[in-house]
Amino acid sequence: MLINYIFIPIIAAFFAYLLNKKGKYIGSIITSLISAYILYQLIGLYGNWSLSQNINLSIMGNDLQLLFANNPLSWLFGIMTASATLLISIFTIKSQENYKLSSAFNFNFLILFGSIIGVVFASDFLSLFIFWELMTWTSFYIISGGKKAMAKKSAYRYFVLSAVGAYTMLMAIFMIYSQTGSFAIAETANYLQGISTTHSLTLMFMLALPFLTKAGLFPVHIWVKGAHGNAPKEFSPFLSGLMLKVGIYGLMVVLFLLPFSKVIENTLSYRGLSVFSYLFALLGAITTVTGTILAIRQEDMKKLIAYSSISQMGYIIMGIAIATPLGLTGGLLHMMNHLIFKSAIFLALAAVIYRTGTTKMYEMGGLIFRMPLTFATYLTAIIALAGIPPTNGFISKWVIYQALIEKGYLFLAVAAFFGSIGSFMYVFKPLSTVFLGQLKPQHEKIKEVPFLMQVPMYILMILMVLFGVVPGIQMSIISKISSFVGMEAVNYSLFTIEGAYGAWNSLIIFNIFTGGFVLSLFVFILARKSKLVGLLDTYTSGEYMNDAEAYHFAYQYYRPFDRMFDSFAAKSLTRAYESLAENIAKIGNGIRKTVITGNGQSYAFYAILFFVILAIAGWII
Amino acid sequence: MINILTTALHFIGITIFSAALGLFFMGIARKIVARIQKRYGPPIYQPYLDVIKLFGKKAITHGFIFDFGTIMAFGGVIATLFFVPLGAWTLYSLNGTVVLIIYLLAIASLGMAMGTVGSGNPQASIGISRALTQMLGYELPYLVILFGLIYKYQTSSVFGLAQAQAGGIMNWNLFTYPVATVLAFVILIGMTGKKPFDAMIAPSEIGSGPVVESGGKYLGMMMLQKSITIIVELALFVNLFLGGADNILSFSIKMLIVWILATMVGSLFPRFKIEEGVKFFWKWPLIIAIIQVLFIIY
Repeated sequence: MLINYIFIPIIAAFFAYLLNKKGKYIGSIITSLISAYILYQLIGLYGNWSLSQNINLSIMGNDLQLLFANNPLSWLFGIMTASATLLISIFTIKSQENYKLSSAFNFNFLILFGSIIGVVFASDFLSLFIFWELMTWTSFYIISGGKKAMAKKSAYRYFVLSAVGAYTMLMAIFMIYSQTGSFAIAETANYLQGISTTHSLTLMFMLALPFLTKAGLFPVHIWVKGAHGNAPKEFSPFLSGLMLKVGIYGLMVVLFLLPFSKVIENTLSYRGLSVFSYLFALLGAITTVTGTILAIRQEDMKKLIAYSSISQMGYIIMGIAIATPLGLTGGLLHMMNHLIFKSAIFLALAAVIYRTGTTKMYEMGGLIFRMPLTFATYLTAIIALAGIPPTNGFISKWVIYQALIEKGYLFLAVAAFFGSIGSFMYVFKPLSTVFLGQLKPQHEKIKEVPFLMQVPMYILMILMVLFGVVPGIQMSIISKISSFVGMEAVNYSLFTIEGAYGAWNSLIIFNIFTGGFVLSLFVFILARKSKLVGLLDTYTSGEYMNDAEAYHFAYQYYRPFDRMFDSFAAKSLTRAYESLAENIAKIGNGIRKTVITGNGQSYAFYAILFFVILAIAGWII
Repeated sequence: MINILTTALHFIGITIFSAALGLFFMGIARKIVARIQKRYGPPIYQPYLDVIKLFGKKAITHGFIFDFGTIMAFGGVIATLFFVPLGAWTLYSLNGTVVLIIYLLAIASLGMAMGTVGSGNPQASIGISRALTQMLGYELPYLVILFGLIYKYQTSSVFGLAQAQAGGIMNWNLFTYPVATVLAFVILIGMTGKKPFDAMIAPSEIGSGPVVESGGKYLGMMMLQKSITIIVELALFVNLFLGGADNILSFSIKMLIVWILATMVGSLFPRFKIEEGVKFFWKWPLIIAIIQVLFIIY
């Protein structure tokens, strides 16, 4: 059962690779069929929470067990993975017509899909690590296949950061294994209850680091911009919508399935929350603010949305780290919603790139009259992202606010408010510069994308409004997760969620919104009909204006705002890391120069020195 | 059927009342500003004449997004109105929270922004970019103050917050938290786009920014939208800091007093540059608001 869902995609990957040579659409069709099949199978697993499976291996006389089990948390992530893969592979069937590496893309994409299923259903750290590495490798290959020259460098940066995280996790896993003799998460949890606080803290940070990296949290977020911005256009939705969430999955395992929080609870606490959990939440807050400020500055639309992803991940981490029933609910809700609206945004941008071939916002404009459906998708998605009712994004943000206010975490709340209002600014920039305004003369003949590429956008649009009106669907699985991790559930019904200081009823809000809209429409229709004129026929203070290109306000849209943060943005964390690396390289070089002299006598001296040290060591021990 | 019909009539009636009240307030504001500038000023009913005239005129449009944006702006603000209690009219405010109202107002702003940028006039885009920047400036301290009030009174519904101040004038937040009230008043001036914070519409500079392309019914709907927005923002202030009211008359009078004060204070100052405005909001109101809320929490 579970193991099949991991290995079917991995085996299918080889077929996809070979068959794709015959026609560039075959690989994507195989991917979509496989993911549809697995999605269907996983839906059938709902409620079957006792399902588990093992693989027994015997390597050099050591018995190893790889454990896989189904639980509400894993199930949710499995469903999210399968649906994201399905939607993106449907999109890819048409969009990769001219992509040279499409065989490799589908090969890696299927393996990546299988490995994420493996990560989320693994119930021991060894299999989690194995599939985690497989995931990093395959996504690294996909990112480096991006069209831009920068793609390889970004992929490399992503890979190095992931590797650092993965190896600290590996060390932590072996430290635990040496004590318990088992890799299983359940036994680790038992073991952790008996150890000292310092030890437990070390283990917590070592285990959490790869997940924080993957989730794009503040000091290790630097890979996100490059990787999202330069990855193949079809992969960015997956990277942002789903792969960041796999980091959240890992963080949930560390914070909720392992009893770290109970061990640390006895140490310092701030307003009823252990300082270390608060630290995670604070990192989330910093992430939100940084992501927002940097997103507003971007001129490249994919990088802008990449920074927005960083900022939104901050919300999710804030919600999960404060570990109240409302916080957890809000974090998980926002995670699901972020998958939906961020995939929608990136798919809409991919459609734009498919037609125009550029990601620079100031090279476009006025695409709304050429690509209305893409525009509608983008508009719905940004309404959701900015958290405006009646879409899904508002509900999750509202729950997170309630959670922050309930506990009185003022500074976290300020960051959350900043990120939310700031998101109006950065999502409006592509809307205004790419879709609205003057159409560029070279884009005069652009058409809407083919039907197959529209299908995922329709589905996502429906989902955004559906979950905005009926949050009960998402809440039913979230309440299962809450009880699975031993947390009280939040009261909810199909249309309502009860916060700490007030309830939310989406049906009434939807009705009143519709009422207002209808009334406004009546006023508009009853008034006199207006005359349609062209976009160049506007008030120009008396100037003659014939050049659409010059008559479009797009470059440095928020210059007054950016001016306030110029000095902040100049302090690049990436550059700081790079200079650190350079300095280490310099020191290494210096050591090499003094040690490797090229003189035979000094090498003989090292050999003797080595034996002397060995002898002394042997004598002491 | 009868039920739906009465609800619909109720809906339309309150919308018309608020739009009319808002236009009246706008007329008063024009008169006050004129008197401060030693002019005679237009009659107080001038905005009514303007709206009637505008709906009678022929208008031009720049495509469907221009229409859609205008409809969305007006529809969004009508929807917002029904979550704010107006005196004894609680409407649907029992289901509404403060945060909801702030975000519903954003629908109207987004609609207006989209429609006006859809006209293809760069002056409109500049105006919108300024308006959104300024919004980040004033919303942040405002939400911080709301955070404090919600935490203090353990409810986030506007109606509940107004009820919490019941029982005498000294229970009003104006007297219990005077600092927060003054801050919210300054923010209100920014929210309504009054004088020191009107860089986004700057008529002499960017041709009135967001409404540069609107004429005829489009401008008429924008005026109605503006008038209801004023009512929503004032009603929010009165409910949160002046204890609400038992009936619509005294509620309107409270709103009128706040409005006149805001107009007077606003017209004393020259226009801020956009980043100066944002810096101002983040320097004084935000810092003081954070200190105030820290007092409330601890």
